[in-house]
Amino acid sequence: MNLELTEEQVALRDTARRFLAEKAPISGHVRALLDDETGTTDAVWRGLADLGTTGLLVPVECGGAGMTMVEAGIVAEELGAALHPGPWLSTAVAAPRTLTRIGADAAAASILTGIADGTTTATVGPLDDASIPAVDGGVLRGEIALPDAAAADVLLVFADGGGGTELFAVKSDSPGVSVTPERGIDQTRKHFRVAFDDVAAQPLAAPPAGAIAAVVDDVLIATAADALGAARAVMELAIEYAKVRAQFGQAIGSFQAIQHLCVDMYETVELARSGVIHALWAADNADAEERHLSALRAKAFAGRLATVGDTAIQVFGGIGFTWEHDAHLYLKRLLSWSALLGGPDRYLTELGRTLTKPKKKGCSA
Amino acid sequence: MQGKQENVDFSYPAEVEQFRVELRDWLSANLNDELIAARRPSGRDDATFAMLRTWNRNMADAGWAAVSWPREYGGRGATVLEQLVYTEETTRARTPLPLNVIGMNNIAPAIMQYGTESQKLTLLPRMMRADDIWCQGMSEPEAGSDLAALRTRAVRDDDDFVVNGQKIWTSLGHRADWCQLYVRTDPEAPKHTGISCLIVDMTLPGIEVRPLVTLNGDTDFAEIFFHDVRVPADALLGPLNGGWGVATTTLSHERAGAARLYAEMQVRLEELVDDFAAADDGSAHGVLQDPVTLRRLGEIAVRIKYLEVLCQRSISATLHGGSDLAAMGSVSLAKTVWGEIGQDMAALAFDVLGSRARRWADYRLTSRSLTIAGGTTQINKNITAQRVLGLPRT
Repeated sequence: MNLELTEEQVALRDTARRFLAEKAPISGHVRALLDDETGTTDAVWRGLADLGTTGLLVPVECGGAGMTMVEAGIVAEELGAALHPGPWLSTAVAAPRTLTRIGADAAAASILTGIADGTTTATVGPLDDASIPAVDGGVLRGEIALPDAAAADVLLVFADGGGGTELFAVKSDSPGVSVTPERGIDQTRKHFRVAFDDVAAQPLAAPPAGAIAAVVDDVLIATAADALGAARAVMELAIEYAKVRAQFGQAIGSFQAIQHLCVDMYETVELARSGVIHALWAADNADAEERHLSALRAKAFAGRLATVGDTAIQVFGGIGFTWEHDAHLYLKRLLSWSALLGGPDRYLTELGRTLTKPKKKGCSA
Repeated sequence: MQGKQENVDFSYPAEVEQFRVELRDWLSANLNDELIAARRPSGRDDATFAMLRTWNRNMADAGWAAVSWPREYGGRGATVLEQLVYTEETTRARTPLPLNVIGMNNIAPAIMQYGTESQKLTLLPRMMRADDIWCQGMSEPEAGSDLAALRTRAVRDDDDFVVNGQKIWTSLGHRADWCQLYVRTDPEAPKHTGISCLIVDMTLPGIEVRPLVTLNGDTDFAEIFFHDVRVPADALLGPLNGGWGVATTTLSHERAGAARLYAEMQVRLEELVDDFAAADDGSAHGVLQDPVTLRRLGEIAVRIKYLEVLCQRSISATLHGGSDLAAMGSVSLAKTVWGEIGQDMAALAFDVLGSRARRWADYRLTSRSLTIAGGTTQINKNITAQRVLGLPRT
């Protein structure tokens, strides 16, 4: 039982935090890329790779750090706190976890090496419930939802290869690939519809049973860490504001009404942090049932987490309602997490249903 | 990389799991249905009280009563993780709480720190065995959340303190043999610095106890009146006028006890789901087919799990030298979350099962105390805002 970060993990967190504050701040970087489809610049991506953050989950044999989801979560939290708009979750979490979970590390060694050294960006899909495209005669046909598709060099696509689901690699600049932005509520997240019109696709491997579900869990868990970072950051901004904003001759943070709003945010953030720590651990250490439950819980809690954005705007008052203030960007980040792959009601209901099923353990019948 | 060697780890060490097995075995051999049924204070009569006294003695004799205490006072000097596991297992087995739960958690740490050797050796083992019942005289009609405003006076007269005043909301006041009493000994000093702590024999002349009936008809607690009660001067616990320090001694002992917050809610949720399943007629309109009910169950379940991890984070910080402020903050936060979960569960149970499910209807009422007793949620939030978030005092 040890839930403390190691010295190395604290150093990783601090390094990522410092880099983002200096090289990818909200004012100069994030806001400039709100309408940019890639959400990143070569310089910033190179910087993230040089810090080792793109290769955290890449196996050591492929030039990565071979670390765990805990380290990935530490970086994801900082990226969320900085509202980072680049393709990090897709490239540094979804892609390597997909390739390692389905045992394609050898076939896709060059992709993994490129991710670790920062020369390759990638994305994975479809991860929603939609039907998958098909590969026939070596070419891919169909249309799917795919995050970060405009930035990605490699598209990793689950498709029906004729004998069941397989993972295929597609170069994003191949003829027949068309990428259409899907504008959501959150301009710091880049979502797309990608159509494949007879596109050359390289088969990598057929996922073993449960592997795709595990990848979806990984992505949800890492995104929960990102959302935690966003919630924490906007809460801290609101609390700092409450300490300096004076009305009626005193700091508004001295009023109980404001104090209780701040504690409500803190309670929600600390509960979310508890869930995220557990889920990051479960992603690598728990059995499939517990891992999936931890991902379900994180999604089920997303609606409550988004209230931190709402409450922060309430504490800021009028200034929090303006475009120039960053509060709305945080609220939107939290709302897009809440809406990702289905809203919280669906996950809360599903979580409730898991309680009503007979327990696996302790049942001798 | 060495990433996996030293990383976040939710598992308990093997020796702690061994401790869990020993305790579980003992409980399954000794705990019976009658005792389990008697665990709710609601409607507890004299015969039940006597049965629980015997049970407390049996637990004490087997070494399972006060595991966190040092061996010399009858405990086992259990480690923090063993205490955590103890709380988890006793709660999950539906073991009745010790009759002296307040004494053991809140009074004993102060006696251990401030008491004389003879007080420790005579009072503590008898408390653990429920030979003596203890109450804590803190709240007063004019001193609730503002505890330091207490007015009960103790005036030194020769070898005695003469006590006058009134205490209220005193759990077990009507059954107690001893009272840990907070009194004002220096009315001129600022309110926190004029308070002392006395250990008072409840049979002394001038003490009058009136049971208070709670909103559900129970008599869980009492008012205590003191009329010129002569308490021997050696009943003083801790320094004269140092009572506020005595009162806050307990805080550092509560970390592992926080496990009860989530373990209790886990047990309640299991019971609720079982009762829903029993009420489900299997039709399309069955209780457990209703997505709104399932959604509310999900909301409760996710928070219970997160409450568990919140408590584990506090324990981990204690064990591994994490931020103490965060650890303190999480215990206070955990209590707030626990109260909210309990009240939401009570509301869900009543909304679905109605008045016929008596136990849940009772909980619908008694769960109001979860956000009042031991410090209201609002006071808790004030403290968190000022001490953890650093917001200014009014």
